[in-house]
Amino acid sequence: MISESLIVEEGVSAGDRWVTVDASSIRDALAELKKDGFTLLVFLTCVDHLADSSRQWPARYEVVYELRNLEKPEQIRVRTFIEGDPPHIDSVHDLFPPANWEERETYDMFGIVFNDHPDLSRILMPDDWVGHPLRRDYPVGGEVVEFSEEHETWQTPPEKA
Amino acid sequence: MTDTIAQGVTVTKTGDSGAFGGELLTVNFGPHHPSTHGVLRLIVELDGEQVRSLKPVIGYLHTGIEKQMEALRWQQGVTVTDRHDYLSPPINNLAYALAVERLMGVVVPPRADALRVIMSELTRLSSHLVWMGTSGLELGAMSMLMYCFRERDTILDMNEEISGFRMHTSYIRPGGVMADATPRFLEMLDQFICDMPGHVDEYENLLTNNPIWRARTIGIGRLSAEDAKVLGATGPMLRGSGVAWDLRKSMPYSGYENYDFEIATSDMCDCYGRYLVRIKEMREAVKILRQALDRLPDGPVNVDDRKMLPPPREELETSMEAVIHHFKLFTEGYSVPPGDVYVAVESGRGENGCYVVSDGTHKPRRVKFRSASFVNLQALEQMALNHMIADMVAIIGTADTVLGDCDR
Repeated sequence: MISESLIVEEGVSAGDRWVTVDASSIRDALAELKKDGFTLLVFLTCVDHLADSSRQWPARYEVVYELRNLEKPEQIRVRTFIEGDPPHIDSVHDLFPPANWEERETYDMFGIVFNDHPDLSRILMPDDWVGHPLRRDYPVGGEVVEFSEEHETWQTPPEKA
Repeated sequence: MTDTIAQGVTVTKTGDSGAFGGELLTVNFGPHHPSTHGVLRLIVELDGEQVRSLKPVIGYLHTGIEKQMEALRWQQGVTVTDRHDYLSPPINNLAYALAVERLMGVVVPPRADALRVIMSELTRLSSHLVWMGTSGLELGAMSMLMYCFRERDTILDMNEEISGFRMHTSYIRPGGVMADATPRFLEMLDQFICDMPGHVDEYENLLTNNPIWRARTIGIGRLSAEDAKVLGATGPMLRGSGVAWDLRKSMPYSGYENYDFEIATSDMCDCYGRYLVRIKEMREAVKILRQALDRLPDGPVNVDDRKMLPPPREELETSMEAVIHHFKLFTEGYSVPPGDVYVAVESGRGENGCYVVSDGTHKPRRVKFRSASFVNLQALEQMALNHMIADMVAIIGTADTVLGDCDR
């Protein structure tokens, strides 16, 4: 288990055990858990708590790591909260190889910068995309059709629609 | 030193010794290549015909499904889950439905659980059939496609009978299932269970001892058990490397602990091993279907909660309260208590998970799909290195990635 000094908060949500750790000690916490048998990183993602009034959130972005011990089997969720523009956090791709693409996806979708990631580039969106689509302030349907400048005649101007 | 000789094709001269005097040819494999099972692009460096490095490029089928989920109400989201892994819609529904139910603290009736198991296993069969048909086709076994799609069509007919849709069924929903199984569905299922073992024998006759199939798959795409675990591979990729890990056994859901079946594994660690695992899984799926059909309990197929599911049609004519519930459900939807939950189910490709965060409103704050294809694809380089480029077709095939699932 993670040593007590690293844990900021812990609890159970809908039957899933979770701990919150400080963003600066995320690598230590995950390394300790890995040594403890939680060898599989099931997924890694981010939650944007912009304008979320369900409780008082320490920061806007919550990075979530779900780890699994394949022997028992049991799971634990590690959370950490980060702020900033862009927000930074240490990469864990060397501890858990599947994190490589998951971190790229989280960077692509939320703009979270993973320090020391070997190839932090967009993975799902095109390389020249502007913005991070899964942020809550990124509008749904507010994007113009790609290549629209080549087909201007197809579009009806707003005043004629 | 590199020279561009055509769009997307460059010649890199590195000076390493190799079959062609150290000339590495960088080739774009895909994205529109029939054997990439979707739209997958691989940047491959070739020394003669041998793969020296490989970089998958994904995202061509990205449809923003996770963003859409945030804009839809809880019960509307089900239709979107159908569409990410388009070869196993009911299993995707199941992961989402279980996650929402756990957040709400709802337990579905036993008949709903049994119907969910039946639909999951039918889907696993149809997913494996598509895999076997297309992979066989790519490796020269033309007739596999006809045989496999024959049985898959029977499964799609059953989907249509029970839900009205052939592919995107949206049959499994938070709170239960869409509708009870019709008597005709149960008849079709019974007939299917009787016929299917014979059909699996047919596939085995065509492939298991087929010298071409064996030559193309044995020893190709090796992935050791250790590597598979480190790379986070799940499903037939992991079991084909000899690791007996199946979520249906290790972390049972929907009453899978009550069914008698074995985890299919193979110690061959190659493409042939993954093929054997899928054949065995098809036989086990038929066993589960038989048990589920024979023990199908009576009773309701939905939770009795008017705040979550609409009232029966006939109640609307006599009860004012039913009308109010109906109106509220279809205008505002229901809200889910704040919290987060992760539920994983075993799909034909591996662990299909759904991480749901609720902020207490009538729409999800965040829905993350943990797709097996996305993680399994990271093992591709490990498997394909130093193989011939023609073997990559076998390796991509037996990894069984669905790019819609991978890119979401």
